[in-house]
Amino acid sequence: MEKSLTTGKPLLTVRNLKKHFAVRRGFFQRADTGVRAVDGVDLDILPHQTMGLVGESGCGKSTVARLILRLLYPDAGRICFDGQEITDLNERAFKPLRKKIQMIFQDPYSSLNPRMTVAQSIAEGVRISGITAKTDQRRRIERLLDMVGMPSASADRYPHEFSGGQRQRVGIARALSVSPRLILCDEPISALDVSIQAQIINLLKDLQDELGLSYLFISHDLNVVSYICDHVCVMYRGRIMESAPATALFDNPRHPYTLKLLSATAPLKEEFRTVSDVVASEAPGGELSETAYAEGTTMVEVEAGHWVRTQR
Amino acid sequence: MSQDDTPVLSVEDLRVHFHGDGPVSLAVDGIDITIHRRETVCIVGESGCGKTITALTIMGLLPQPPGKIAGGRIFFKGQSLLDLPEEALRKLRGRHIAMIFQEPMSSLNPVFTIGNQINEAILAHETLSEDEALQRTLQLLQDVGIPDPQKRRHAYPHQLSGGQRQRAMIAMALACGPDLIIADEPTTALDVTVQAQILKLLQGLQQKRQMAIQYITHDLGVVAAIADRVYVMYAGLIVEQGTTSHIFSSPRHPYTRALLDSLPGKEKRGQRLYSIPGNVPHPAYKPTGCPFHPRCQHRQPKCARFFPTLCDYGEGHRARCPILYESEGTVGGRCEWKNL
Repeated sequence: MEKSLTTGKPLLTVRNLKKHFAVRRGFFQRADTGVRAVDGVDLDILPHQTMGLVGESGCGKSTVARLILRLLYPDAGRICFDGQEITDLNERAFKPLRKKIQMIFQDPYSSLNPRMTVAQSIAEGVRISGITAKTDQRRRIERLLDMVGMPSASADRYPHEFSGGQRQRVGIARALSVSPRLILCDEPISALDVSIQAQIINLLKDLQDELGLSYLFISHDLNVVSYICDHVCVMYRGRIMESAPATALFDNPRHPYTLKLLSATAPLKEEFRTVSDVVASEAPGGELSETAYAEGTTMVEVEAGHWVRTQR
Repeated sequence: MSQDDTPVLSVEDLRVHFHGDGPVSLAVDGIDITIHRRETVCIVGESGCGKTITALTIMGLLPQPPGKIAGGRIFFKGQSLLDLPEEALRKLRGRHIAMIFQEPMSSLNPVFTIGNQINEAILAHETLSEDEALQRTLQLLQDVGIPDPQKRRHAYPHQLSGGQRQRAMIAMALACGPDLIIADEPTTALDVTVQAQILKLLQGLQQKRQMAIQYITHDLGVVAAIADRVYVMYAGLIVEQGTTSHIFSSPRHPYTRALLDSLPGKEKRGQRLYSIPGNVPHPAYKPTGCPFHPRCQHRQPKCARFFPTLCDYGEGHRARCPILYESEGTVGGRCEWKNL
């Protein structure tokens, strides 16, 4: 069932977010040309909603997640979480909010400390969330493991004893340990086997229903995004090209770059069984740069909630 | 030519074992694969199913030890590869059978230009003058769609994008006009748009050069886009084989069905995805009987006790599952349980 996309106040609002990285070039390593990793991004994530952020590698989608978590500081723009502006908060003032925003990573092998047992990894979050008594902590850890479908016996084992899918479950349990409201999922299933991907997708959906979580779901896999996301933003070279409810975006894509991404995703149905004619230019979307992407473009609402970047 | 009927590659009952500290890993456990000219054959499977080991064994690149070819035969155009001395195999490899790897950055040499490396691939197998080899290199770079070959041949691997690097790898694989290309997940590390370009390039080159392609992947989307025939591998076995439409329209093995059911897509929105319970078994600790039975929703008690043979559904469509065979029937053929 489609969740309502228009009602309710956004949990997270991002306005005109910018992050430029200096690139050092030449013999003297002068910082000259900047890479505009994120170049004016707007996002609204509603409670209980999954917002998809898609694009090719290097388009800035992971940088957006890092900016929201304040692992990086933006050059410009505002980020509001639950009505409170967090862009200018100092570290101490942001600390209670960090519990509300958590992240799960692509690679479950490198995002868990190999020297900590599962219980120790999760216990850090449990402690921070204010549970002090050891027995209560243990109970909470076992409850969290149960929520992600892991037996409580796994608590005292080390990450290397688990498969990729199980490690990703541990990563999710760790993120849940501080009772977050928003989870940033950065390619959470791309490193997993096909048969395990569906398990993790189902788990994420179940947890959303149970706990009322919001997700920012970063992925380049359009099949997954079309399945799990309520709203999707297509990102290209640091900017949003198209933003629409998932059904509208996949049934009626408007931006040429979205079309290009969709046509590059091989469909399983036999009647479409040819590799679509993706333009041969090697630079992603090179031929789009002049018209659809360049300076002087703006987002226009073509239908309710369906925004497309077009020439002014 | 009668040559046309001989398959380019035929693998018969290949078994590859790995010996380590613990029990022996049966990485490849008796597989048969046939590839004809101009054919694209996909080997699909999850990590650890033995698909890469199969490719390495065909190429004669299996690390021995710990690997050991425990049985079976491999024929390349009628010639038995496992009986060839290393010297003869080296002449064949790169010239008649070429391989494209997943990660072009680690399979290209970072300290030589790509032109240099392609040149080397040509001269390793053919006696050509410097100038002829250079002309061939430029032609190859052009064929794989690298713009301005005259200039780009001087580029080092790190100066190229991922897609360009994979194109350079393909140019190198094509250097001596191979009859068979084994591509091991060549697009997995690439973006979807670049992936589509590379797949299209491979298809075009195949038609132009009449090559056979053995394409190894775990991505069913890629399979649907390029394969003529498909082998589905699970735990070192071929569990299903058939044309692409057999596999996608009427899959006959519970594993193939489960894989297709577990793929997300917009048409499944709001429904729960089917998820295969459990994990892929470790090759040293495979369950008895049918290796998929602990995860199978059609399993019966006898699945743990008997080993299923490939059941024939006609037109080359076979699946290793008598349960579905018995309940859904077929055209003639036979299907049986093998006593353990």
